[in-house]
Amino acid sequence: MDIPYTVTARPDTGLYNAKVGIWLFLASEVMLFGGLFSSYIFLRVGADYHWPVHELNVTLGFVNTLVLIFSSVTVLLAWANLKLRKIGQFKMYLAITILCALTFMVIKSFEYRAKFSHYAVKLTDGTFLTGHLEDGYEIKFGEASKFTLTIYAQNSGIKADPVNYVLPLIEGEAPKFKTEAGDEITLTKATFQELQKDALVKAEKAGKSTGTIKLTALTPVTIHAKPSKILNYTDTTISFLDGTVAEGKLLDDKMTLTVDGVDARSVPDAENSLAWNNHYLGESWKKAFIANRDHAEEEFKTKYPSRDPLKSATHQKEAYYLHIESSTPPAAEGEAHGEGHKAEAKMEEHSEAHAEHSGHGPKVTLEKKDIAFWSNYTPKLNTYYAIYFTLTGLHGLHVVGGAIVLTYFLLFDGKMLREDPERLANRVEVGGLFWHFVDLVWIFLFPLLYLL
Amino acid sequence: MADSPEEIYKSIKKIKIVGLLLGVFTIATVLLSFWELPTHSLNILVGMILATFKAGLVALIFMHLNHESKMIYKILAFTIALAFALFFLFVFSAHDPLVFSGLYDSNQ
Amino acid sequence: MSAAATTHDHSHGADHAHDHHEPGFFGKYIFSCDHKVIGVQYGMSGLLFLLLGFFLMLLMRWSIAFPGQAVPGLEFVQSIPLIGPLFHEAIGRWAPGGVVNGELYNMLGAMHGTIMVFLGIVPLGFAGFVNYVMPLQIGTIDMAFPKLNMWSFWLFFVSGVLMLASFFVGTGAVQTGWTMYSPLASTTNMAVTNIWMHGHTWWLTAMVFNISASLLGSVNVITTVINLRAKGMTWMRMPFFCWAMFVTSFLLLLAFPPLEVAALLQLVDRVFGASFFLPSGLMEGGQHLDISGGGSPLLYQHLFWFLAHPEVYVLILPAFAILAEVIPANTRRPLWGYKSMVYAALTLGFLSFLVWAHHMYLTGMGTMMSTYFQITTVLISVPSVILLTGLMISLWGGSIRFNPQMLFASAFLPMFGIGGLTGLPLAFTFIDLALHDTYYVIGHFHYVVAPGTIFALFAGVYHWYPKITGRTMNDFLGKLHFWPSLLGMNLIFAPMFIQGMGGFHRRWYDGGKYFEQTSGASNWITELSSNIFGLFGMDVPNSLLGLNVLMSVGAFILALGQVPFILNVFLSIKGGKKITSDNPWGCTTLEWATPTPPPHGNFTFEPVAVRGPYEYSVPGCSQDFLPQWETEPGKAATAPASTPAPAAHH
Ligand code: HEM
Ligand SMILES: [Cu+2]
Repeated sequence: MDIPYTVTARPDTGLYNAKVGIWLFLASEVMLFGGLFSSYIFLRVGADYHWPVHELNVTLGFVNTLVLIFSSVTVLLAWANLKLRKIGQFKMYLAITILCALTFMVIKSFEYRAKFSHYAVKLTDGTFLTGHLEDGYEIKFGEASKFTLTIYAQNSGIKADPVNYVLPLIEGEAPKFKTEAGDEITLTKATFQELQKDALVKAEKAGKSTGTIKLTALTPVTIHAKPSKILNYTDTTISFLDGTVAEGKLLDDKMTLTVDGVDARSVPDAENSLAWNNHYLGESWKKAFIANRDHAEEEFKTKYPSRDPLKSATHQKEAYYLHIESSTPPAAEGEAHGEGHKAEAKMEEHSEAHAEHSGHGPKVTLEKKDIAFWSNYTPKLNTYYAIYFTLTGLHGLHVVGGAIVLTYFLLFDGKMLREDPERLANRVEVGGLFWHFVDLVWIFLFPLLYLL
Repeated sequence: MADSPEEIYKSIKKIKIVGLLLGVFTIATVLLSFWELPTHSLNILVGMILATFKAGLVALIFMHLNHESKMIYKILAFTIALAFALFFLFVFSAHDPLVFSGLYDSNQ
Repeated sequence: MSAAATTHDHSHGADHAHDHHEPGFFGKYIFSCDHKVIGVQYGMSGLLFLLLGFFLMLLMRWSIAFPGQAVPGLEFVQSIPLIGPLFHEAIGRWAPGGVVNGELYNMLGAMHGTIMVFLGIVPLGFAGFVNYVMPLQIGTIDMAFPKLNMWSFWLFFVSGVLMLASFFVGTGAVQTGWTMYSPLASTTNMAVTNIWMHGHTWWLTAMVFNISASLLGSVNVITTVINLRAKGMTWMRMPFFCWAMFVTSFLLLLAFPPLEVAALLQLVDRVFGASFFLPSGLMEGGQHLDISGGGSPLLYQHLFWFLAHPEVYVLILPAFAILAEVIPANTRRPLWGYKSMVYAALTLGFLSFLVWAHHMYLTGMGTMMSTYFQITTVLISVPSVILLTGLMISLWGGSIRFNPQMLFASAFLPMFGIGGLTGLPLAFTFIDLALHDTYYVIGHFHYVVAPGTIFALFAGVYHWYPKITGRTMNDFLGKLHFWPSLLGMNLIFAPMFIQGMGGFHRRWYDGGKYFEQTSGASNWITELSSNIFGLFGMDVPNSLLGLNVLMSVGAFILALGQVPFILNVFLSIKGGKKITSDNPWGCTTLEWATPTPPPHGNFTFEPVAVRGPYEYSVPGCSQDFLPQWETEPGKAATAPASTPAPAAHH
């Protein structure tokens, strides 16, 4: 018993089933990406910050565009050769298409990685400092000896689990702890479970739904925690993801950033930005900033005498977003700092990858009170990066999905190739339609995210 | 649908030409994006026109929408109309075109 | 069975050989690709979820009517071995001493909505019925993509399991309403050990699965209708059932993706800290959140309602689909205005995409857009009225058989009427300002979906049950199901209009007890209900608040009314009256041309449609119905070898 019209077209509609199916599926995909693109429009129209333009790596995006276009051609050639029953050619073109998909994803992953290790810090006055956290960023919390764990009788969103969420953050060996009962224990899964049981029994007796365990470290410990590993902290307490609270003293929550850019577009008075504070970038960088700004303004005036510089986003970016590529300001070279690797920095000044990789830019140590918000270049940074990662991530998933389907045709449809090549040709056609659609989406993504 | 061998050979040629065209237009898009027009909106407009043209090539030639059954056209026309509803009505609901146009003063 | 296949073109694919050997138990009943099995699977899971959603509602209704009082039996259930601990994990832990607390109330509300809409009505009303009936009605052997069909069901199943399981994770289920409005939904309850083990995350993931399932399902349905209609089954000979389901599939296909986007973006917001839906400067508990801001809560609402308005038509169109079969069959009259109903359904489908922001009048939309949305919203009631009128006039002059399915069908008409008419005032911004987010809105849409759609679904179950099992359901139990249901439904939902106009907010977990200023008002209805309760020795206040008790009593009556139905469904499988004909109701559409129950492959002959779908009481005919597949009573049409293929367009 066979479903009609799987191979040949139904005469009155002129379509075989899979063709109707794939077009319907693509219609739904149009609405999916339509929803995402309209989110893009909505977010961009309503953005209350400077929408990034040309901030991604245009070269890589461009290469990827070509790769996808090329693969769109090859998948068609594969189908045409199958129709002509040139099996060898068919296989070759299909393999090339899959290789293109792989290339695309590899390039994409390089782009992503560069973004993940790049940070932006918003100071309280609105200035953004961009750069790298070469030494990472951790909160150091010391002299912690009193730990309070909360145990819930019910299943709950937060569960005390010090073995997994506290001990790994302690500097050096984990110490012994003293319980309320006065026992000295090392904290392990087993001992913790004991304690938990006792605490619950106690809570039940007292008619409460939560119990607490109080532990005292025999030797006070120091804690190093990435901000993502804790819930919050104050000057005297730190609470971990599992709800455990430790008392002690905040030692250090300063952030050391190797700066590769100062974006002062959102500061009302860029010349007095916090960034030029003496213990941050200082006067000489301020001079460089002003020189750069004046130069840009001069240039804009001669180039476009009739235009309003305030309305040109490109000009604003050139004038108020200073890119820093060496550890000392260009004008001030020689006079200041005298750091050892100055010459080295100069040599690398012109290399393209420079800004993307690690910096030889000036290091500044930012105080927590001056930081309004910080993030690496991930969805958290702003709505532009949020929509960038979501759109390209989803598009990437489509590329992977398409590649898997095509690989299946290449490797596992051998029997159909021998017995019913016409049906396989239909399959390849349908797979190809999907592939072109993925290409089509990228055709819009590339200018919207990389160029405009 | 190109089914006879001659037609297929012909279409192979067409495909290659279109592929090349797409590459050329991509280069054009990149270059144009660095050329500053009086407003950035114009840049976006030009970029989108180019992208739409490229997308049109892909849809018409690669996805052979230039000769497809009527049914598919109907479905796609409906879908595209809805996608445009998404694009514009969202934005208009937050930024009313009447207010923008100056015909209606929201402060009155 | 193989006769049906002979004239179809043969694909000599790899599947060919293995299609012919008998599938084992798993292949036949669990991972089946047969549209009928999948239809029953969808239908049964839909019924189960409806029951579950109903149960959640009962808990809510109790705590609205009797805030602060322990739910009877809640403690007891938790003491039952095996079930008890499970129940405790899911529900009981939020109800210390049996009293539903605020968190639990919120979970119940959010999950009731979600389960009813996405896991109850759509799977039963759309997926269940369309899978079972549509391929039979257009005279084909199966859906166009049987394997995808199976995938569709199992994806749906996964989404259901995830949704239920979200009750068991540490945080409990979501608490932010079925609409999941950001920014609240993007920022609440974020202090967890592991964000992936979070009820909200599971809800969003489950929705992504659910949407994929309905995507596969709708692609399948549309393709089948376009490409697999039998010989002679032209578009305008297609039963209205198939038309309505066809339109519904388009709504699912094109409206769901934006919801998928909304779910994905909210997931990114919650898990990766993005600000899609979070405006700049958002504060919570006096503290700036650690977010970039720059997003917009309105974006979420647009994406959500772009789906959710078409979704309400996804809920109602299957009801019309079913009634268009049940009513002509039981009045012995053709469907009135078949053609205009088809066009009305198409118009409805199109317009339903263009009205969504009537749910957002209060978001500060500009004049032009709110005028636009008011106009389209009022426009869309025209096709709705045409559909309802068509069904209503079909009753005129019929010799009506009042069996259970017809009772439910006839009750649907006024109930849907009330639902629709109460929607009209909401279409105008100046009225909606007062009524938005009150119980009035709850009353409006429940009249449409509960005594509306759900009654139609019951009618459908009674109607097609004999085709599935070979036995009819018990008539008496059916009536015992109908009358309490009708009473219960109206007792619950009618007072909502009164409360809503009195200003009752839709999400008060104590039913308004602490809002005495608004809830203290009284009128003759509250007095009447207070007096009636007085007769039974119950002290119910003569105020809008007192209506809560009336409504909750209605809910318990409704609950009791479902017992006969559940018994009926299960007992009739073995104990129902055996039907003597493959066409027990004397219907005209093709599903009644098959053996009972239809075998794999459906037809014993190749069906050909020779006339329209509703030829009842044709003058001069020897019987009061003329089936689509018969040239004259009792004689099946055969396709002459040269029969031209059916025309593609009407
Ligand atoms: C016949 C014409 C109809 C009109 C003019 C109409 C109008 C409206 C309006 C304006 C609202 C928003 C009220 C508010 O939130 O302030 C609304 C809510 C609603 N309507 Fe309708 N409606 C109609 C039919 C239907 C139908 C047929 C259904 C379902 C099958 C339905 C289901 C709903 C639901 C579920 C809501 C509330 C959703 C929520 O806020 O949770 N409506 N209706
Ligand atoms: Cu609506």
